[in-house]
Amino acid sequence: MYKIILAMRYLIKRRITYFAVLAVALCVFIVVVVMTVMAGLVSDFKQKSHNFVGDCVVGTESLVGFAYYEDFVNILEKSGFVGGVSPVIKGYALVSPSWTDQSLGLEIMGIEPVRHSQTTGFGKTLHYRKGNVSKAFEQSFKPNLPGCVLGIDVSSRLGNILAPVRDAEGGYSYSSRLGEMALSVSCVPLTARGAPANAGAGLIETKTFYSSDNSHSGLARVDSSLVYLPFEWAQRLCGMGGSVKRASAIHIKFKPNVKLQTGCEKVASLWQKFKEEKADERQAYLLDTVTVQNWKDNRRSSIAPMEKEQTVMTVMFAFVGITTVFIVFVVFYMIISHKSKDIGILKSIGASNADIIELFSGFAFLVGLLGSCIGLFGGWLFLLKINQIEDWLFEHFKFQLWDRTIYAIADVPNQVSPKVLGVIVLSAIIACLVGALLPSRLAAKQKPVEILQVNQL
Amino acid sequence: MNETRNQCVALCVLVVDCEFGGCGMLKLFLWLRYLRKKKIVFLSIAAVALSVSLLIVVASLFTGFINAFQRAAVEAIGDVVLAPPTKFAKYDLFIERLEQTEVVEAATAILSAHGLLHLGIGNVRAVDVLGIEPVRRTKVMDFDRFLLRQKDSGGELSFKTNSFEGRVGGFVGIGVVAEPDEKTDKYDFDAVEKMFGQQVVLTTGTISQADKEGRRVEFKRKVMEFTIADVVETGVYQFDNGCVYLPLEELQKTLYPDEPLPVVSEVQIKLADNADTDTALAVIRGVWRSFVGEHLGAELYLMQYTRIETAKQMQRRYVAAYRKQMGLLLLIFGVVSFGVILLVFCIFYMIVRLKQKDIAILKSCGAAGSSVAWIFVGFGVCVGIVGSGIGAVLGYIVTKNINTIEDWIRIIFGLKLWKSSVYMFSKIPNEVDWASALPIVLLAIIAAAIGTLIPAIVAAWTKPVEILRYE
Repeated sequence: MYKIILAMRYLIKRRITYFAVLAVALCVFIVVVVMTVMAGLVSDFKQKSHNFVGDCVVGTESLVGFAYYEDFVNILEKSGFVGGVSPVIKGYALVSPSWTDQSLGLEIMGIEPVRHSQTTGFGKTLHYRKGNVSKAFEQSFKPNLPGCVLGIDVSSRLGNILAPVRDAEGGYSYSSRLGEMALSVSCVPLTARGAPANAGAGLIETKTFYSSDNSHSGLARVDSSLVYLPFEWAQRLCGMGGSVKRASAIHIKFKPNVKLQTGCEKVASLWQKFKEEKADERQAYLLDTVTVQNWKDNRRSSIAPMEKEQTVMTVMFAFVGITTVFIVFVVFYMIISHKSKDIGILKSIGASNADIIELFSGFAFLVGLLGSCIGLFGGWLFLLKINQIEDWLFEHFKFQLWDRTIYAIADVPNQVSPKVLGVIVLSAIIACLVGALLPSRLAAKQKPVEILQVNQL
Repeated sequence: MNETRNQCVALCVLVVDCEFGGCGMLKLFLWLRYLRKKKIVFLSIAAVALSVSLLIVVASLFTGFINAFQRAAVEAIGDVVLAPPTKFAKYDLFIERLEQTEVVEAATAILSAHGLLHLGIGNVRAVDVLGIEPVRRTKVMDFDRFLLRQKDSGGELSFKTNSFEGRVGGFVGIGVVAEPDEKTDKYDFDAVEKMFGQQVVLTTGTISQADKEGRRVEFKRKVMEFTIADVVETGVYQFDNGCVYLPLEELQKTLYPDEPLPVVSEVQIKLADNADTDTALAVIRGVWRSFVGEHLGAELYLMQYTRIETAKQMQRRYVAAYRKQMGLLLLIFGVVSFGVILLVFCIFYMIVRLKQKDIAILKSCGAAGSSVAWIFVGFGVCVGIVGSGIGAVLGYIVTKNINTIEDWIRIIFGLKLWKSSVYMFSKIPNEVDWASALPIVLLAIIAAAIGTLIPAIVAAWTKPVEILRYE
């Protein structure tokens, strides 16, 4: 009990302690704000990536694709754990709009819009056909002609002056109706062996599509370089049609009660079985390049750099946090050098070395806890108002944390994560305990007989 | 007892000396003594050094990245780019005129397009196609040093290959023919070497515009076979991963066979060393206007809508965004480094409290309150100078060796922090930004001095009569 009383007393009476609390609070405040914003950005990016690919992807990197995908789609649909399946064609195309003699090399993705929306968040990324995904490729001017959905920034890259342009707040301004826009899409169709399919006829396959909608996934690379085409047309353009049809990937969504890892393991097991069954087929060799990945692994190349930046930032804060440890050390050193008589009395009435260490560790814990609470509260308050502060700064000084015309970020993320907060508070308390460790040991080593000599009093 | 008396005598002698103008000695004596006796002062030096080094590293890495970003643009497109809204002919004449001015050192024309490159079985990728004049391009942007095979040859750059006569040669970016290793981010040069002399197929095309006879707009595909004559490694992922360079004349013949005169889409210009940018832009604009007036039918839209910009102007939005990020990061770490002031305060407060007798002796020997205060402020400044000096050296060492450090992190933790596919450049820019380092060092010294202010005032207010009482 005396330990708590003394620790509280030192905390209140020794004004120098306030500096240690202030240092901890300042550090916690900054770390809470920066880490919350960073964690928010990473989590937002992950969510968008998840929406883009679904839960699991069975696919190949090869532009040749793999055969017998329809059979595997049937197997997946019959299994009890899959909520949606969408075969996809992926490839590169030369896209040439009608108004210029320039063309652009872009990625194409052939999809069946309804199935793809059931599997991924594709439907929600549309603007004009959001509520009617089945008509995603239906152009309002000429409904019978094949349509295509452009990544929101593709139009402007193609030089369309009427393209939606990102405004200063990160949103897009759309016209009430999409203008008529013809795009000539040319691909190099490949045979199952990877050779150009039309070797005798100029190698490439061209088809004109009409822009029917824009897709805003929130992923900068996707929005600026992807064109969605109707599945059959993409299949034909990439040379994956014919008697044995091929696809590049199958995107899968699991039923709500299925865990990601469990679902992926089941798919991998089904795929292994399927591969063995097809081993004697003519194009079975194409199945060797196919992998089963969960959405995180599938988008690893995009997600990993952000996670690494978060790690680097944490390490940098840890370095800066060393100063806080120093402050706590100095404050405790001072207190102990002034309170040697207290220590002498405590030890003379039977307190052990461990008791003294406990007393000062408890005191350090209180400093860490109080500093963390103040820092947390300040950080939470700041985060609560961060978007309003940014709006005000933009309104008065044209200052934004991120230029929304460059970065695909909407609001500054301010959702405080209890897990992140817990780690920060714990780190702050540990830093205080580390800072107080040496002074506590010094205090414990003091001898009452030397401290309580009459000439010392 | 004798030691204390000796110290008192020494202090009094120094104070008396101080009255005759030798204050420096007294301060030095005390600073050295406190430094020797109070090892805790080294903590404040360490804290200042840590904060300064971190801020210098952050500022240097950001500035290095921004500089590399700007330099990469100049190396890729020259100092100034002239880009008309449509292709134009008689460019040789225009370049000749440009080179006759004092502001332009060299200029070169390019024809750009997009295409799909078929590299082998199942290997097709989207590429940017650039028709270039290799010799002129070298004069504008030292293009030769990026070519793996020809950079050390010393001769003029050429698209010639060892294969059959008459075959077109081309250069490809290193990332087009090889992928950087997932773990090391380095290219497999043996695999790249095997691509020399390989025949590849480029599919590109142009749009034929609608005409009065009712022919509708259509895409005219063009297929071009060429042999890989050399591989380009600029160190900038964007260019290395997606560019194909072909002889300008060959690309002109393939894309625009029906044009009466060869056409180009852009002119890239290198300015003379002493040329003022604004003056140079005005001169180039003037030359362009007179050229359009005389040789391109005085087309108004060519005069009005031609973009004439420096590479730096083209990138200013991105540079501004990077600078803002750097400022924010420095602000964040600067605020956290505010802890240094608190630390210095705590340490100096402790010294003042523990050394009250010294202070009282000094004052009793006639030292003024301000002199006593200056001893502590000066000591704080010294701590700041030493700490920030160590921090600057540490920052310099870390920045200069950042690539080695990053490599060690990869080897020890398996964490590849820097990838060219994410951060554009194959190496982390490691130039120390002294322009940012200097203010950081100064601020650190000021911060250390601020930290000592209150303890110094407390010391100045110390009353010797209270401290030196016998009881």
